[in-house]
Amino acid sequence: MTIWNYVVTAHKPTNVTHSCVGNFTSPQDLNLIIAKCTRIEIHLLSPQGLQPMLDVPIYGRIATLELFRPHGEAQDYLFIATERYKFCVLQWDSETGELVTRAMGDVSDRIGRPTDNGQIGIIDPDCRLIGLHLYDGLFKVIPFDNKGQLKEAFNIRLEELQVLDIKFLYGCSKPTIVVLYQDNKDARHVKTYEVALKDKDFVEGPWSQNNLDNGADLLIPVPPPLCGVLIIGEETIVYCSANAFKAIPIRPSITKAYGRVDPDGSRYLLGDHTGLVSLLVIIHEKEKVTGLKIEPLGETSIASTISYLDNAFVYVGSSYGDSQLIKLNLQPDAKGSYVEVLERYVNLGPIVDFCVVDLERQGQGQVVTCSGAYKDGSLRVVRNGIGINEQASVELQGIKGMWSLRSSTDDPFDTFLVVSFISETRILAMNLEDELEETEIEGFCSQVQTLFCHDAVHNQLVQVTSSSVRLVSSTTRDLRNEWHAPSGYSVNVATANATQTISVRIFSLPGSESHHKGTIRNNRREIILSSCAFEGISYLLCALGDGHLLNFMLNTSTGELTDRKKVSLGTQPITLRTFSSKNTTHVFAASDRPTVIYSSNKKLLYSNVNLKEVSHMCPFNSAAFPDSLAIAKEGELTIGTIDDIQKLHIRSIPLGEHARRICHQEQSRTFAICSLKYNPASGEDSEMHFVRLLDDQTFEFISTYSLDTYEYGCFIISCSFSDDNNVYYCVGTAYVLPEEMEPTKGRILVFAVEDGKLQLIAEKETKGAVYCLNAFNGKLLAAVGQKIQLYKWVLRDDGTHELQSECGHHGHILALYVQTRGDFIVVGDLMKSISLLIYKHEEGAIEERARDYNANWMSAVEIVDDDIYLGAENSFNLFTVRKNSEGATDEERGRLEVVGEYHLGEFVNRFRHGSLVMRLPDSDVGQIPTVIFGTINGVIGVIASLPHEQYVFLEKLQSNLRKVIKGVGGLSHEQWRSFNNEKKTVEARNFLDGDLIESFLDLNRSKMDEISKALDVSVEELCKRVEELTRLH
Amino acid sequence: MHKQTHRHVWKRIRDREAGKLRANHFANRIKSNRISQLQLSNHKDIVSPHKGAINSLQVDSTEGRYLLSAASDASVAVYDVQRPTVYEAGGGGGGGISKHSSIFVVDKQHQQGHKYAVSTAIWYPIDTGLFVTGSYDHHINVWDTNTTQVVVNFKMPGKVHRAAMSNLSTSHMLIAAATEDVQVRLCDIASGAFAHTLSGHRDGVMTVEWSNSSEWVLVTGGCDGAIRFWDIRRAGCFQVLDQSQTQLGRRPPILKRSMITKDSSTKLRAAQKKHANGSGSRQQPIGRVPSKGPMKQRLHPGMLSTQDRATAHYGAVTGLKATEDGMYLLSAGSDSRLRLWDVESSCNTLVNFETVRLQINKPLQLATTQDSALVFVPCMRSVKAFDMWSGNTYTILRGHYECVNSCWFNQHDQELYTGGNDRQILVWSPARSIADEMEGTAEDQDNWSS
Repeated sequence: MTIWNYVVTAHKPTNVTHSCVGNFTSPQDLNLIIAKCTRIEIHLLSPQGLQPMLDVPIYGRIATLELFRPHGEAQDYLFIATERYKFCVLQWDSETGELVTRAMGDVSDRIGRPTDNGQIGIIDPDCRLIGLHLYDGLFKVIPFDNKGQLKEAFNIRLEELQVLDIKFLYGCSKPTIVVLYQDNKDARHVKTYEVALKDKDFVEGPWSQNNLDNGADLLIPVPPPLCGVLIIGEETIVYCSANAFKAIPIRPSITKAYGRVDPDGSRYLLGDHTGLVSLLVIIHEKEKVTGLKIEPLGETSIASTISYLDNAFVYVGSSYGDSQLIKLNLQPDAKGSYVEVLERYVNLGPIVDFCVVDLERQGQGQVVTCSGAYKDGSLRVVRNGIGINEQASVELQGIKGMWSLRSSTDDPFDTFLVVSFISETRILAMNLEDELEETEIEGFCSQVQTLFCHDAVHNQLVQVTSSSVRLVSSTTRDLRNEWHAPSGYSVNVATANATQTISVRIFSLPGSESHHKGTIRNNRREIILSSCAFEGISYLLCALGDGHLLNFMLNTSTGELTDRKKVSLGTQPITLRTFSSKNTTHVFAASDRPTVIYSSNKKLLYSNVNLKEVSHMCPFNSAAFPDSLAIAKEGELTIGTIDDIQKLHIRSIPLGEHARRICHQEQSRTFAICSLKYNPASGEDSEMHFVRLLDDQTFEFISTYSLDTYEYGCFIISCSFSDDNNVYYCVGTAYVLPEEMEPTKGRILVFAVEDGKLQLIAEKETKGAVYCLNAFNGKLLAAVGQKIQLYKWVLRDDGTHELQSECGHHGHILALYVQTRGDFIVVGDLMKSISLLIYKHEEGAIEERARDYNANWMSAVEIVDDDIYLGAENSFNLFTVRKNSEGATDEERGRLEVVGEYHLGEFVNRFRHGSLVMRLPDSDVGQIPTVIFGTINGVIGVIASLPHEQYVFLEKLQSNLRKVIKGVGGLSHEQWRSFNNEKKTVEARNFLDGDLIESFLDLNRSKMDEISKALDVSVEELCKRVEELTRLH
Repeated sequence: MHKQTHRHVWKRIRDREAGKLRANHFANRIKSNRISQLQLSNHKDIVSPHKGAINSLQVDSTEGRYLLSAASDASVAVYDVQRPTVYEAGGGGGGGISKHSSIFVVDKQHQQGHKYAVSTAIWYPIDTGLFVTGSYDHHINVWDTNTTQVVVNFKMPGKVHRAAMSNLSTSHMLIAAATEDVQVRLCDIASGAFAHTLSGHRDGVMTVEWSNSSEWVLVTGGCDGAIRFWDIRRAGCFQVLDQSQTQLGRRPPILKRSMITKDSSTKLRAAQKKHANGSGSRQQPIGRVPSKGPMKQRLHPGMLSTQDRATAHYGAVTGLKATEDGMYLLSAGSDSRLRLWDVESSCNTLVNFETVRLQINKPLQLATTQDSALVFVPCMRSVKAFDMWSGNTYTILRGHYECVNSCWFNQHDQELYTGGNDRQILVWSPARSIADEMEGTAEDQDNWSS
């Protein structure tokens, strides 16, 4: 039993919440800056597309992201405000390539009620002040002084309580805001106010407009010369200014994103909730607005932000689908669309459900998520490590080495595969029919082990054996020249490029030479690969016989080696081989734990390959198998292509509809999902809800059951019942009738998969929505509205089965999330936290055993072990509670004790037990239990339960890392991780931030040494222990 | 396409998980939904042991679990509103009812108990280890909850009408006491002595309320009809509310464009108001109050209002309630008026609360919802819920047989507790659906034990 938890991000947030364009990194650079809730990315627009420059975490949920240019500055500054009322102003330092904090502060107040329509942060176009709407009834002003410094903030009382949007107007001699608000009769209006800085109050603004479209939701300020504002409604778009009022009807839609096209403000891109992008044109004669015109352009992902970049390139950020870089063409394509998608950027959000399955039976879990929404709904298969797609394989024992060779210098493809054994060498080749067959190269010596092969200039090949180096014609295959090793000597290690061959026998490592010589003496083999360049940086990689890899930064002009790091890649000797994938250099480390080494953002990364043990590998780019690798495993040679090189590999299965719940059934090799399809063609939004059966390899729909009108799928599980050998899918539904506030009816549907079809076996009507189902003691446990109900599977006289109610428990507000373990039932309530129930077999009764009395609004629950239960709640926090069976009083035993609290900053929709990585029995972390979670922002994270000693050690490490690593913008990590909801803010307890801890590996050596000294643990030991943790996810 | 209000709970839960509905917006809408369904509870009963009128109700702010009640028969009781004492299964298809009996009662028989009516019982704000009672026997007692023993006692100069502690306080542990005497006394639990007295009222003080935005600001209502604001770190009150000083709406009127250059008379007012929020150095409130004539320049700003005879009500001020956001103050008077004040401008907002009849000779305990959209007001035998900004009657809660004295709104559960002269404590909660009919068996399917 452990209450100590390690929380780490396996997949970063991918939901794009904000984006903006400006000259941030230099006056000549055009930058796209993207916020993904808790991270910002800075990109440079170049002729090659978007180039990533920086990707950093923010210690807060970003509420506002704005670029602005103070008076007299040549570059833009970046303003960020977080939902917990911190703000900062960032500047780019061109010399260091780093972010500098120009200003920071706290804009929280003791008065006012936090707004729940979303915080607003805006900057006056003339940079006179920043305006913030964070609390109902208050508008906060942070003035700038003449030098662009921020002055003391003050509040102005705002009459309007239900504020929908506020923007600054352009071209006003005094800073002027326009406020879109809703009155208490639900009518919508706009009003303008001038900000009188001296009086610290509003003055009546130049104009106002009442009774807008009831769905008016978005303001777009228009720059000079036109000025004024656009008001985007669901059915109408209005241009409004002191001089003009123009309106245009539009197809009913919800517009959430816009991007300005022209500096003069005459054209805008609008994105709606169906993914339609339109061009809105303000028709004008000189400075006089005469009308509006809107023109559909085509379909994109459903946009959460639109940033017009340059030359008709547009970035579409999305919350419900992948983000995209698009080009707007002058001419439509065959479908009439002007939109060309150039690039897609993965977005897993929102993850509303997922399951953990081992589809390829490799002993490693894959996460299959329900992601996206509306038409952009999809399933995503998320797998840790790099997969090999086998194309061909041959049974071969005892492989000692492999090299690929071309048949001529100018041939772009490899033809020969040289396979070396302990006392012979064989040649495999692609014949004219593109088949792999054994062949001969007469000039090669085939009776001995080959140490090295390489292509050479002038249509030649090189073979190195222990006794000779042979030069062979690649066209005639005849020996052309040979060098013999002197008598009594033999070649041990060799490498070559196209023009020369180098052999070495003795190698000395720099620095601490005697120590390393000692190390070398203990290793039977050393393999060196020098001058390996990643992203323009040279490294020296040294593979040791004990499974460790050393890497150094290599200064190619001075030969100096710096920044030594040591990584464990297994326990067996490693062989290294360079290969190229997508025009990028990679190194394959073959051992008992095969790994690909690559560089991303100027950082070396290691990603495991999903193979048990690889002894040798070489690239094999043949015409029949382009960009393939040849891999030698135990007793087998395989040729296959390799997945994209990244830590988590994501396969996307677009559905065109929104999958809400998913379940896997091993026995039928199927997934089943609850999904809904929106039908925007109707006059009003209407939905169709389905239960769909999918093949678990191809993800094709193989069977569909349509739910009733107004019947919505809530949950799905695969289960079996006592005294019945069949496996069933059970689906819980709700009838969501427009006139009801809460469902009063639902169904439990029991399906069998027969001949690849969903067959309805039984159904049971319920008096409420079936929010959750669990297999429980051979029966079915359902959460129905405010009640937990247990059903047994009863054989009727006619030979069919039915669900029959046995017992229940009520008293919940809404029982939304249920987990079971043995006879215990853990319930996550809508607003009453977690309760623990127990099923009493003899009495056929369910009783409450204990409860957490905090008013947590739950979003997910999980059972960690018999006594510890994990919850996620509405304010983005995690907490753990413990059953107190040994308490002295009924009250103590009836209370679940809160033993852990932590601000995750993410809304968790689901916890599942499982692991993204193979559990290696020899690994220290192999025994640590883990829970995977999925969030609205597309985060996949892991929570691991640690032993106490490990927790205490890592807590000290975290504490020291906080001193060494400062948050961007001066934000505090400690404050960020404090548990925070509307009732309290308390320090994080018994949870560690794995993202911070694992950033230890990214530090430079001097900072590592600093922490090593503080903890009195060697850097090598620290790296080893942190590396072990990275293998949790 | 007309806009759908999306009131459906199920759709809201779905939209929250997809990120279409902000998490805090979701919670606030569910709460509003539940409040709109308040009715005499069909599933929850509080079993009152009191033999006298209920004068005071409070649920602890830490867990929202323990209800403290005080009565005219000198008794004080505590109930667990989350965990019932017994659960009565309903017969004939009715839903079950959880019954919450008192965990303990302190009354006249207790050697340290009060001798006469207890007007107030409040929890120590930080935890439920202590509670405070004030009585017509001229005493304020501080009790240890676990031992039910008095740990500190304060002798007051007259009957205690109301006592209060600040929920915001991190620097002091002061009990503010309103008694028949004209002085408000601040009792220090830490020292067991009076820390301070506040002078200015011309008649007994009926009610006290701490600010919801500053731990240093106390608001008092007196039998003289005055509402006074005090900064307890200084002598004298800094503000007296005048019912004739009015604004229409939530804030003073916005300046017209033509008045931009006009000199403002707000500087002195602004200076005075710096104390109001306790953080004047960070925030400078704006007020727009017409000048009342020449300012008395010689007096210390904090003493300006000592001689001010302005009244908030034509009669005693019987109830005060600060809104959760700290920006407004509700007052009830024996003139049967309910008023809403803008704390910053000190103006009567002229919200016209519909005709009410208020008790005239006892303190009333008003309650508001967490978002301050509604205020619950004891109106003789019923409780009226008013919309805060229109003054319209939102609902009338009828159930008591005699005058209601106290309302407490439990934010955790969106439940309202009311107490009256009929000795009852009633629970008003969202309706809970009737449990399933029995399905072919005589056994009770829904077992509950505690």
